[in-house]
Amino acid sequence: MKKLTQKRYFKVKRKTILLLLILFVAYAGKAQVKESFRLYTDRDLYVSGETLLLKLFAPSTEKSGIVNVDLINHDGKLITGITKQIVDLQADGFIYLPDSLGSGCYLLRVATRTSTILTIKELYISNRFNGLPESNSDLRPSGILPLNEAADQTLQIEGIASRYKAREKGKAAVHLPNELLNQIEGNLLVSVAEVTPEYSTSEFTLNAAPKTGQIIEAEGIILEGIVSDKRTSLPFKGAIVNLSIPDSIPGFQYFITGDDGRFYFQIKNYYGKIPVVIQCYSNDKTQLLKMVLIDPENLKKVMPNFETKAFPSGLRKNIERSTDAVTFRKIFNQQDITTVPSPLTKNNGYPFYGVPSKTVDPKLFFDLPDFTEISRELLPGVKFRAYNRIPTLQVFNLPQQNYFNDTPLLLIDGIPIRDLNLIRDMGSKDIDKIEVCQTERFYGDLRFPGVVALYTSKADYTRLPESDNLIKLNLDVFQPQAILNSTSASQSSDPDLRPVLIWNPATKPQQTIALDFQTSDIKGNFKLMIRGKTKDGSTFYKEQKFEVQ
Amino acid sequence: MPKNWDTEKIRGTRHLPYPSATGFPYLNDRFSPGEIEFLSGIKVGNIGLRYSSYRDEIIYYNTAIGTQIEIDKMSLKGFDFTDADGNKRIFRRQHYDGYFSNERYFEVLGDGEISLLAYRKVALQICPTYTDDSGKLKNMSYQNDYSFYFYAKDKGYSQVKITKSSLLSKFDKLTQKTIKKLLRRNGVQISDETSFIHAWNLIKENGIKLIF
Repeated sequence: MKKLTQKRYFKVKRKTILLLLILFVAYAGKAQVKESFRLYTDRDLYVSGETLLLKLFAPSTEKSGIVNVDLINHDGKLITGITKQIVDLQADGFIYLPDSLGSGCYLLRVATRTSTILTIKELYISNRFNGLPESNSDLRPSGILPLNEAADQTLQIEGIASRYKAREKGKAAVHLPNELLNQIEGNLLVSVAEVTPEYSTSEFTLNAAPKTGQIIEAEGIILEGIVSDKRTSLPFKGAIVNLSIPDSIPGFQYFITGDDGRFYFQIKNYYGKIPVVIQCYSNDKTQLLKMVLIDPENLKKVMPNFETKAFPSGLRKNIERSTDAVTFRKIFNQQDITTVPSPLTKNNGYPFYGVPSKTVDPKLFFDLPDFTEISRELLPGVKFRAYNRIPTLQVFNLPQQNYFNDTPLLLIDGIPIRDLNLIRDMGSKDIDKIEVCQTERFYGDLRFPGVVALYTSKADYTRLPESDNLIKLNLDVFQPQAILNSTSASQSSDPDLRPVLIWNPATKPQQTIALDFQTSDIKGNFKLMIRGKTKDGSTFYKEQKFEVQ
Repeated sequence: MPKNWDTEKIRGTRHLPYPSATGFPYLNDRFSPGEIEFLSGIKVGNIGLRYSSYRDEIIYYNTAIGTQIEIDKMSLKGFDFTDADGNKRIFRRQHYDGYFSNERYFEVLGDGEISLLAYRKVALQICPTYTDDSGKLKNMSYQNDYSFYFYAKDKGYSQVKITKSSLLSKFDKLTQKTIKKLLRRNGVQISDETSFIHAWNLIKENGIKLIF
């Protein structure tokens, strides 16, 4: 009897352990399935000098409003990158692959400032002038777990022939069932592009450890830095840090540092490459300050392993053909894409320093050699004097009917200047426009006892002296949208060597999506691809291949 | 990191004292807690606001620098504050296209397809001479010059006085009868702003359309 009870006890215990084990495995499995960015490119294989087109889907939990897509080499060195706004958890863009890129495997990395999982897509880029390496092998990522996905069986593609002739018109229709249509989140990616069957690359994820306390880039790029006392190298509290973006209506932000000496700026609503000037100063004019920007790049160390792998046969021939096509496109100046004009930045219609009481164009008057003369002759209410080589500037306060005791805010092309000597030699020829505010202006907690804003003819900011408390940047902000150039080359005698026939990264989901395309002069394999994301966070795709003969 | 470090900054000029005279150039006696809305739609709340009826400007008290600042009118969409009686006063910046057309802050007394707006203007006007606290002889005083309007986006402004007859005059004769009946049944006698607003709300609730 005792033996039987003991046997039963062990049986129950065994069952309990087994159940706990199953529960643990199930939980652990669930915990591992963490949503990540999904990244898709028009092709896997490129020739330097081409344009790479990309589309990405963000995880539904993504809080960041912007995403960085970087092209890095196998050493983790950043080659180029773009910043895109995430709209409806999606983004699309393009990357110009520099002509100078050496042949090799490159990685396209998607991450935000706070990403703990990096999505990486492997690419191969062949140099346009050197082609593939003589060794017939190259480094490729190893030991990675590719992100696989199954083709959607309910999605139907109709009308695609198995073979087309060069420059033949094609029509296709993609049918989306209602069940799928109701589940789709955002837009679809529809593309028709050349494929290299013998060489395909994979998309995989790597874990990253972002720095603690990173600020989420909700609306724009965050610039972060630290101001320190130049003498003690300790963080400096109470420094006023200005960020200026020279423009016809200049951008301006300021930050007053706390105990940690840190400052932050968020740049939003700007597109392309913009000049940015950051300056810091203390109210104590004798205080020497040093300012550095902090690189948020914490991803450099996160790289997969690489091993040398031989190229499949037939790849070299394919690459040579693609290289010729790219060279021809360059010769005939055929652009892959056209950028769409960016939405205009709204600055509430007037500069941060207020509506000027007076605007003067010195070129409308007789030529004046320096700013002392300009202030005397053209700017009543602005007193610029240089007695004993010490310049002073004062503005007449119109409401109070007296001159301000303090020096006004002086701007050159929207950049605050504290050294009055910089404008002393500026004559009529150097200045396009002068704006003056003859009131006491406030911008947040900053007080301006009058404003004198000079807009120079050259607008090259070379007058700004290099110093430890000034940083000049040419910042890549949001990449503008672009559309693929559809060619009218069929009518012309120029060769049509487009490897991508359709690239619609923002196709509205509907029951039937009609597609019209025309094949190019490139002969080979092409693929029609539809990709999308459902509300549960999973992605789906459907593809159909065809040949151009 | 300071709170709201990346929000839009308030722009304006220093508020200078107005000429001393009897009457009151402001709508609210003291700075009241309120919120402003920039043109971009960004809102900045929890600031001390005071509406200058004399200049039609909104003044805020910047606690960091201890200064009263007149906020640039062209940077705002509107503002609201809670007055000493605990009432929320909502103001909207709108272009006034009547006589002396300009941008004005209107108090929204009733919103909808047709809004009931108040322009809380105070004017410094000549008055019978008097001696002020310091013994100076003066002949100017701040006097209320409020005006009220019905406003529809497509039709513009229609001025109205805070009287029953003025309200009724905005309707045709047949509707006037219905309104009179409605007001009588609800015991509404238009004698001041509050009763006028109440009457207007009743008219709206009963689906009577104002045509102007």
